[in-house]
Amino acid sequence: MSVLSVVGQRVPMLEGVDRVTGTAVYTSDIGLPGMLHGAVFRSPHPHARIVSIDTSRAARIPGVQAVVTAADTPRIRYVHLGAKYSDRYPLAVDRVRFVGEEVAAVAATTPEAARQALEQIAVRWEPLDPVFTPEAAMAAGAPPIHDGSLTTAGRNIAQHFAADYGAVDEAFSQAAAVFEDDYAHGAVAPVCMETNGTVASFDLSTGELTLWTATQAPFFVRKEVAHVLGLPRERVHIKPVHVGGGFGGKSKACEQEAIAALLAMKTGRPVRLVLSRHEEFASGKTDHAKAIRLRTAVAADGRILGRSASVVVDNGAYTAFGPVYVAAARQRTACLYRVDSAHYDARLVYTNKVPGGQYRGMGAPQMIWAIESQLDRIAAHLGRDPLEYRVALANRPGDVTPLGWKITSCALAECLEEVGRRIGWAGKRRHPRPNCGIGVAAMIHPSGGVYYEEGNYANVALEVEPDGRVLVATMTADTGTWQNTMLAQLVAETLEMPVDQITVLHMDTSRAPEDLGSAASRVTFVTGNAAVRAARALADEAVRHTAKQWERAPDDVEFAGGRLRERGGGRGATLGQVAAWAGGLRAEGYYQVPTRRPDPATGYGNYAAAYVFGAQAAEVEIDPATGKVHVLRVVAAQDVGRAINPTAIEGQIHGGILQGIGMALQEALVSDRGVPVNGSILQYKVPRATDAPAIELALLPSDEREGPYGAKAAGEPSINATVAAIANAVTHATGITFRELPLTPDRVLAALAERDGRRLALKPYLRPRNVEVAAIRRLYPSLVFPVLRKVTAALPAPPRQSDQAVVVARRLGQALGALAAHGPRAKVLAGGTDVLVGIRQGIYAPEVLIDVTRVDELRRLGVGEDLCILGAGVTLAEVASAPAIARAHPSLVEGIQRLATPQVRNVATVGGDLCQQKRCWFFRSALPCYKLRGVSAPCYAVVGDNRHHAIQGAGRCAAPCPADLAPILVALDARAHVASVRGERRLPMEAFYRWSGEPDLSPAELLVAVEIPHAASPATEAFEKFTQREGDFAEASVAVRIWWQGRRPADVRIAVGAVSPFPARAERAERAVLASDLSAGALRRAAETVVHGSLPLSANAWKTHLLVNLTERALCRAVEGR
Amino acid sequence: MEIEIIVNGEGRRLVVEPTESLASVLREHLRLTGTKIGCGSGDCGACTVLVDGRAVCSCLFPAWRADGRAVTTIEGLASDGVLHPLQAAFVKHGALQCGFCSPGMIVSAVALLGQKPRPTEDEVVRGLAGNICRCTGYRKIIEAVLDAAESVR
Repeated sequence: MSVLSVVGQRVPMLEGVDRVTGTAVYTSDIGLPGMLHGAVFRSPHPHARIVSIDTSRAARIPGVQAVVTAADTPRIRYVHLGAKYSDRYPLAVDRVRFVGEEVAAVAATTPEAARQALEQIAVRWEPLDPVFTPEAAMAAGAPPIHDGSLTTAGRNIAQHFAADYGAVDEAFSQAAAVFEDDYAHGAVAPVCMETNGTVASFDLSTGELTLWTATQAPFFVRKEVAHVLGLPRERVHIKPVHVGGGFGGKSKACEQEAIAALLAMKTGRPVRLVLSRHEEFASGKTDHAKAIRLRTAVAADGRILGRSASVVVDNGAYTAFGPVYVAAARQRTACLYRVDSAHYDARLVYTNKVPGGQYRGMGAPQMIWAIESQLDRIAAHLGRDPLEYRVALANRPGDVTPLGWKITSCALAECLEEVGRRIGWAGKRRHPRPNCGIGVAAMIHPSGGVYYEEGNYANVALEVEPDGRVLVATMTADTGTWQNTMLAQLVAETLEMPVDQITVLHMDTSRAPEDLGSAASRVTFVTGNAAVRAARALADEAVRHTAKQWERAPDDVEFAGGRLRERGGGRGATLGQVAAWAGGLRAEGYYQVPTRRPDPATGYGNYAAAYVFGAQAAEVEIDPATGKVHVLRVVAAQDVGRAINPTAIEGQIHGGILQGIGMALQEALVSDRGVPVNGSILQYKVPRATDAPAIELALLPSDEREGPYGAKAAGEPSINATVAAIANAVTHATGITFRELPLTPDRVLAALAERDGRRLALKPYLRPRNVEVAAIRRLYPSLVFPVLRKVTAALPAPPRQSDQAVVVARRLGQALGALAAHGPRAKVLAGGTDVLVGIRQGIYAPEVLIDVTRVDELRRLGVGEDLCILGAGVTLAEVASAPAIARAHPSLVEGIQRLATPQVRNVATVGGDLCQQKRCWFFRSALPCYKLRGVSAPCYAVVGDNRHHAIQGAGRCAAPCPADLAPILVALDARAHVASVRGERRLPMEAFYRWSGEPDLSPAELLVAVEIPHAASPATEAFEKFTQREGDFAEASVAVRIWWQGRRPADVRIAVGAVSPFPARAERAERAVLASDLSAGALRRAAETVVHGSLPLSANAWKTHLLVNLTERALCRAVEGR
Repeated sequence: MEIEIIVNGEGRRLVVEPTESLASVLREHLRLTGTKIGCGSGDCGACTVLVDGRAVCSCLFPAWRADGRAVTTIEGLASDGVLHPLQAAFVKHGALQCGFCSPGMIVSAVALLGQKPRPTEDEVVRGLAGNICRCTGYRKIIEAVLDAAESVR
């Protein structure tokens, strides 16, 4: 076939219309007759022995149909990577090893009954010593997490791998220079928009188990579920559903599948088990954190003689795919760029944390980051341009790498040159704009390699339907990768049919032949080849049947244009007709990657039949005031062999780049003693639309003979070069090489301050209580924290309130009456963005909710003769869209426009913003802290990750004030109008909060409105706020208002938010401004006084710089506006 | 509580629990499962619906509050089998992958174009800041919304 008609076209996604109209059915959308709701009881301990489990009270809850524990299972471990690594049961047996581990499960007629049942499961625990870092886990005397048969390589070491490739010792001894650098990164999470979930149905009469499950790999789900439940594999069926994202997070059996199946088998009824977002973060498998020591031997002419990597991979509590992470890091060590020899040493280490799983790139993006970061250092040492040096080192067609990879098609040098041209390399590299930089990086990735013991094969079945359409049946799963569309294109191309005549049925184990699934960059190449072969086989079958029907020799029948034609005769037939003659027309195609599995001992061997290459260049701008890295532009060139569907590939690469931005700058899981503390999309910073840079792509062809129509994998590896390109751009912009990911503003700003030798005088003694606070903090790790923690653990936990009565107030009097009646047992409900979330987080347990959204008295909004009124019940969107308010107080509207998201602003109210509880991640994770449990409990921030916490004014609680409106209103000299049944009062906003940041209201009082008196003289205002991601809560904010008399300030108000428990006036800075000449230098000096009296915690000193810089900015703006 | 909601133009009488969310009522009572639950805490926007034309996270919106109001879900956008211009633009531009965020994303875009029929790129980006998409990198979504705004003009 000379000209391709379907391959290469921008065919719209097959499922597009279903997905944009909401008719696509995902697992959680399935409702079956008699379906029960499943829920999982999880370990609250990072490491503990299970002494006993009592489920009897749970089983008696009305509506509960089954409660299961390990005792209800055959006690068989998941296979995962085979016996040596098989270490996990579907429900914990005798011992738990991470917070969130599955211990028991219930099925009930309602979600509420299931939830109540979980609370009634009583487990007696014997806590064991946990370890949270690989270093601690490998140390002598560390508690063993598993029995010795799983850790023969050393204490808590699941795998120790070491091998040499080529004459590496010689390389290091002969090198002109040797570079050695350490790198480290935390674990990121896949964060598919659809959480993991399964619907299971078991037919008691036939013993058939049917699953609808959010997976990338029906093959592995079937294999593992059948194995752990002791069922024959052929009795387990997976049915097609739409899958809401995968990225590796769903590429093997997950835990909910076997549990849902067990519940269905126990009850004989269908069971739906869908994880909450918090469960997904707490127990869904993650990427693996690594520590990397990289040594490189370089010749005088720049050749890389040898590269040596020593890697420690954090496995978490169980092995899922850790050994593959070990392999992926090895592959880059020995194969990225031309390297003559390599040494690799890696340890996979158990810790009491959420188990590592799989995530896009399998650790390659971070390994490439280390290699590429060091390569910039090497280029600098050699005095060579980083781009030119990379082109010289690039892999070329025909190369064999030290690891035995045979490079076939390879357009790496072209990709590097292309991104260099498009980003404007030479000019921008030599003459960068201030605070800007560009960086480049490359990547290599197998296009479907040999991963599993089963081999790496694919089967695709084609069936002709009665109307002549062709059905493609595959056991892979389209999780959004457009694979179904591309498979349809490959089949349509081969059969010379219009693509709309092709239907794809994915993930149906009863109709599709076996295929390992949609992971590891394999579908386009491996399954795609099988699809092309299936189409050829189908055409041959059709010819054979037609020849028989026409009583001609097969050579006399031609298949062309999707039809059968008689050569030298007039007859013709459609595929539908042939199927009717033949009594059905079906064909299968089989493809196996034509390489051997690499040597298991060394990893040596040609791992894949083809390799994908690419390069990316990133342009960044760093805000020196905040440490925020803005990615302005990413240019990507990728060697895709041939693009089957450019729209699909562009979308994949865009997505990979955004995930790379997340990995480089924003994302890392944070836990405290094994408890995840940023397990929400608010706290775990998945990129938003506001984080998306301009992206420019070049899809470069290369001559790949083995791929289907010359195609290679494209989707997964697009993330691989992004992290490194951004990090190198940051180094170009700042001169600083960062050794730990992600490059969050706290790290960047602290590094900039160090680089510039910028020191701030904090003068902590100016706040006398700091002496006492500092003394107690010193005693915190060894004494205060453990003692208070123990005391609190011994106290009975407050009961959870599962149900709330709702009082809908129509008049203020009703609301106040209800508050008087219910007082501390009630919560006022307005927008719900704090209260309803807090109830779900387990931090509020009100018995009564008093809804105030219909109280007219709370909804006043306007500008009067002497003041502006903002009713407490007015939504933020209403304030922002009131022109009179915007004219009177621009800073207020400016603040609101940057507060939260459009959906939240549409419901969240002025009163809700001012009265919301703290957003401290320890508190919001329901850890038993001072804020949640009171005086007996410690503040977790003092000893934990406190980068977001208060730098000043903190005492027993270090949670900062989250309300953006608070500092603005303090600066505007506003008053709070508060009412109760006993009467009303007005208090200045400055006095609205207690020291701890809670509103200073009695339980019977309600905030009615905020009143902002008009200024006596002309005034200017400014509000500055910094969030790492648009829509988040502030890291620091500053509101400034200056009253003017001519060109001189008559009075100044400065208030700061998010840096102390309450919105604080910065009176020293106010006086400094009043006394100054308003020059830039004077304003800077005034701003620097804003941190006087600060007492930062261990990791939040960066906020002192941030606060000063924001204050300076706000002051300058307020002065400029006069 | 007994309520009446106008869902996609059709009056529906329902009995709901006081703490039940609008998302749950739409999905479980009315079987309008196009509205997705991505987080249950108002952070991801997958559950976005319009209440009297304003985008809200239905997972945090008490169902009874919709009493007497008009609720528009993703199922209410296409009419007589003809896609809404935004839906058509999403398909045309390939502005979707797994599709789980798409209903909420499109509903948010409807609200945005309702308020700003001719948005700038920056306004589109900010208007969609409450909707997380993990797959697409947002670029094609932004293109699709700008294109739809153009075509509606």
